[in-house]
This record gives sequence, C-alpha cells and structure tokens, in this order.
Amino acid sequence: MKLRATHVLYAAALLGFVLLPQLITVKYYLHLSVLALVWVIAAQGQNLIQGYTGYVSIVQAGFMGIGAYSTTLMGIHFALPVWLTILLAPCVTALFALAAGYPSLRVKGHYFAIVTLAFNLVIFIVLMHATDLTQGEAGISGIPKPGREDGWFDFANRQVYYYFVLVIAVIMTGLAALIVRSRIGQTLIAIRQNETLVGAIGIAAWKYKLFAFVAAAMYAGLAGALYAHYQSFINPEIFGLAQSLDAILAVIIGGSGTILGPVIGAFVVVFLPEYLRFADSFRLILYGLLLVLATIFMPRGIVGVVGQLWARITGKAAS
Amino acid sequence: MTDRVLEVNDLCKSFGGVQAIRDLSFGVAPGEVMGLIGPNGSGKSTTVNALAGVFPATSGQIMLGGAPVQDMSEHARVAMGLARTFQTASNFAEFTVREQVMLGGAVTLKAHPLASVFGLGHHAREEDALRARVQDILDLTGLAPVAEQTVGTISSAQQRFLMIATALAAAPKILLLDEPAAGLVSHERKMLADTIKAIRDLGTAVLVIEHHMALIMEVCDRIVVLNFGSKIAEGTPSEIRNDRAVIDAYLGEAV
Repeated sequence: MKLRATHVLYAAALLGFVLLPQLITVKYYLHLSVLALVWVIAAQGQNLIQGYTGYVSIVQAGFMGIGAYSTTLMGIHFALPVWLTILLAPCVTALFALAAGYPSLRVKGHYFAIVTLAFNLVIFIVLMHATDLTQGEAGISGIPKPGREDGWFDFANRQVYYYFVLVIAVIMTGLAALIVRSRIGQTLIAIRQNETLVGAIGIAAWKYKLFAFVAAAMYAGLAGALYAHYQSFINPEIFGLAQSLDAILAVIIGGSGTILGPVIGAFVVVFLPEYLRFADSFRLILYGLLLVLATIFMPRGIVGVVGQLWARITGKAAS
Repeated sequence: MTDRVLEVNDLCKSFGGVQAIRDLSFGVAPGEVMGLIGPNGSGKSTTVNALAGVFPATSGQIMLGGAPVQDMSEHARVAMGLARTFQTASNFAEFTVREQVMLGGAVTLKAHPLASVFGLGHHAREEDALRARVQDILDLTGLAPVAEQTVGTISSAQQRFLMIATALAAAPKILLLDEPAAGLVSHERKMLADTIKAIRDLGTAVLVIEHHMALIMEVCDRIVVLNFGSKIAEGTPSEIRNDRAVIDAYLGEAV
C-alpha cells in the first residue's frame, strides 16, 4: 500500500517534469528550470555525502567548477567532442576528489566541513588566478553545445536542453536510489549513525566515506559540465562558497537523506531567490531568514513535512 | 599451541607512564569459554581494546587462528575472526534489528560492494545465504520477535543481545563480550548464560569480561584473573574460587 503510494508519487513527479516546458509560458522560467535540473544532479551528490553519510561537505560548487572548466578546456585544447568531454568531466573531478578526500576524511564533523570549505576556496582562487588557462575573472565564453545545430537535437533550443538535462537528472537520481538501497548505502547510513561501530563490525569506514565523497564530486562534476554547455559561459564567480552553501541548503530544505529531497530542494534554491525579487535589495536578507526558519521548523525538510502530513491523512482515513 | 583461536603472548600496554597491562599471556581454544576477571582498573577493558585493535599494543603478540594480528587495524581483525561487543550499548539506532545484524554479516560477503548496487547475481545469492544465517542468529539471541522493530525502540536488555547478534553475524572464531551482563536483571542474565553456552556449542570461542561472578562461574571453562595489569591466576572456576591470591585481590572470603 505504502509502496504503491510512493510509486504513484514518483510517476506523477516524472510526468510533471515531462510536461513542465509545455506549461511554462514565461521563457525565463524555463531557463530557471534547466538550472534547477542541473542543481538536482549536484544536490543528489551532496545528499550522498551530507544526507546519507552525515559528513557536511562545503565544496560541491567547487567540484562543479572543476567539471565545468574541465569539459570546456578539454574541448578547447584537445578538440574533443562535447558529449565526450561531458562524460570525462566527472572523471576528472573524481581525481581531484580522491586527492582531496583521502586526507580530509581523517577528520570528523566540523573539522571535515572546514577542510572542504578550504578546498572550495583553493579551487576558486586557482580558477581566478590561473589566467593562462581559465582567463580568470573574465571567464570563458562561446562554450559549444552538444549535438548538431540543425534538426532534432538542436541543443541551443532551451526546451531540447531541458529534456536533455531531465533525462540525465532522472538517471542520476535513479543511480542515487540504487546506491542508497545497496550494501554501500546501508554502510553510509550506518556511518552517519555510529561510525565507531562500523569499524568494530569489520568495515573499513574510510573506504565508504571516500566512495561517498568521490561519488558526490562526480555528480557535481557532471552538473558543472552540463551547466557550462548550457550557459556557454563560465567564470569562477558561480563556483564559489555561496553556491556550495546552496547545495547544502538544497539538501536540508528538500529533505536530508531522502531521494526526493534534493529534487525539491534544488528547485527551491533556484526559484526562491527569484520570487523574492519584490523585496528588492532586502531580497538576500529575506532569503536567508526564510532558510533559517525552514531549518529550524522543518528539520527533516519538505519531504519530512509532507511525509508527516501524509501519515496524518492516511491515519485519519484508517480510523 | 597453534590449535588455539586466540593466543596472547607478553602483551603490554602503557598510557604515558601508566602500565595498564604487563606481560599478559593466555590462549583460548575453539569452543572454549574463557573468563577475564579482576577488580576495577585491573586492565580488563584495556585488554579487550588492545585485542580488538581499538589502540595498538605497546608490545607483545596477538595471534588469531595462528596469524599475528597485533599490527592490523580494528576492522581487519574482524575479518580475521575476532568480533566484539561493548560495555555500554552501541548500536545503529535508526536501523531495524534485522538490518543491523545483516550489516554485521557484511564482512563475510565476498562479492564486491559495488555488485550490490546493481543487484548482480553472485551478490544476491550470497546475501540470501546471509539472510538465512541472520534469521538463525536472531532466533538464538531471542531477537526474532523484534526483528522488524527500529533499534531505538527495543529494550536496553534487547540492545545488549543485539550487540551479541551483530558480532555473531561476522561469523567470528572468537567473540569478545565486554561486560555483557551490565544492566541485566536475573532472568535476562539466565538468558545470557544460555546464549553464551549456545554460542560455545556452535564451536565459537568466547572471551567474557564480567563482574557478575555467578555468571562467570556458570559459563566459563577457564578463567584468567588480572590485578594491576598482570595475570595473577588462571584455571578452572573451582581452582580460581579457591586461589589464595584471587581471594585476597578480588573475590573476598565469602565467595
């Protein structure tokens, strides 16, 4: 019964996403929806390390930057096809995450958060100052779209790109669900609950933490690559700390340690600032306030609140 | 001597200037229940933690099934056949009882963890076998009725049995029980004694650290007595009960 309800929910959500471009009349909202889907991928990754493993990493946007710059630079310098560099971008990001994760996962809790925050700063500074490679603050423009510019797969068409990112977001969400339900996922959840016991039952916790960290980075790298080819322009500004905090908030607001949480959370962090435009220059303050209130009153995110409501409704129906 | 599952030779552990264990040697045979007793501060917990690899021993040798493990990490020793429980209940509060015991058995699975992501055949068969073994363990430890309950909702006595069940799932050659009777009332202690005997009957050696003398005397084949980090006696329960040094240091006259 419960299983059927969630399956219907997934199907309805998927149908909603498929129909969304037809329902949106304002072009700008379609643009935001593409960005939100990119953020769904990044947030699903963040959820693996933050939501399931319980390690708050503050470098997700930095890893998106590595993905975005590596797909762009591989295209420029090696003249590789776009679809290939999009696939290679998460692999490059994984290498950086392996190097960064191996030492930083030795520390726990807040210390881990601070070490990853430092990584994001380093990535940002390198992107800013390695101007020969990255063109610094000015950024790189004219990043090509995947596919052909004629006919069916004209990725310059926003709607086409929307469906392209949607397919990838669905695949990556499905992959996250598979990971979470597997023995690996169970071990990650166990680490979140009692890391000492994980070692005592014979599991090398560090391998699993590193897996989650690298997997999260690969999600970010992929999201960053999709972002670069969508916007056709990147500069370091969009891969800073503030965006890493957005990834964290997407997980918290949507529902930490749930599969649908990052999907909802990604749309909230992309759309909410836009809806707060009426507040003009107070927009960011209001945004911050809403987020603080949400974290206090919805500790389990939107998924948690909806779950509770659903339980109350069905509970009443039963009695 | 090599037929012993656990062999400890001249084990020493110092914390700064304090020598918590000095030159401790003993062995445990397969299917044997060994007791480790002594007054507070005599080094029992330090011994358990050094054996389990929570911290490295200062010197000495620890052999599991004939292989030296003193330089191995805690989790590697579990794979070598040593599983343990903790003095205070340590579980995965959000899992169901069955989920936790299943994870306790993960160390016995040979398929790569990544195979479980895509539900590949080999892994699925292995996991089915583990599932059957976990059911047996739940029956043995009396946890079958609460198998689907969340760990955080079961009683504290059940939490203690759950630690034993989780350790057993690792299919250990030797099981270290660190004060398993702490907080148990008399009928639960009886259940614990029966469980320890049942584990022994399956051929698993057990090392029990315990203050509850009646339990120790009932279940142990042999007992090692520690005082100030040194072994002051070793023998059968009746030998220990009548040992002058043990009576002076720990048991007292009335026992």
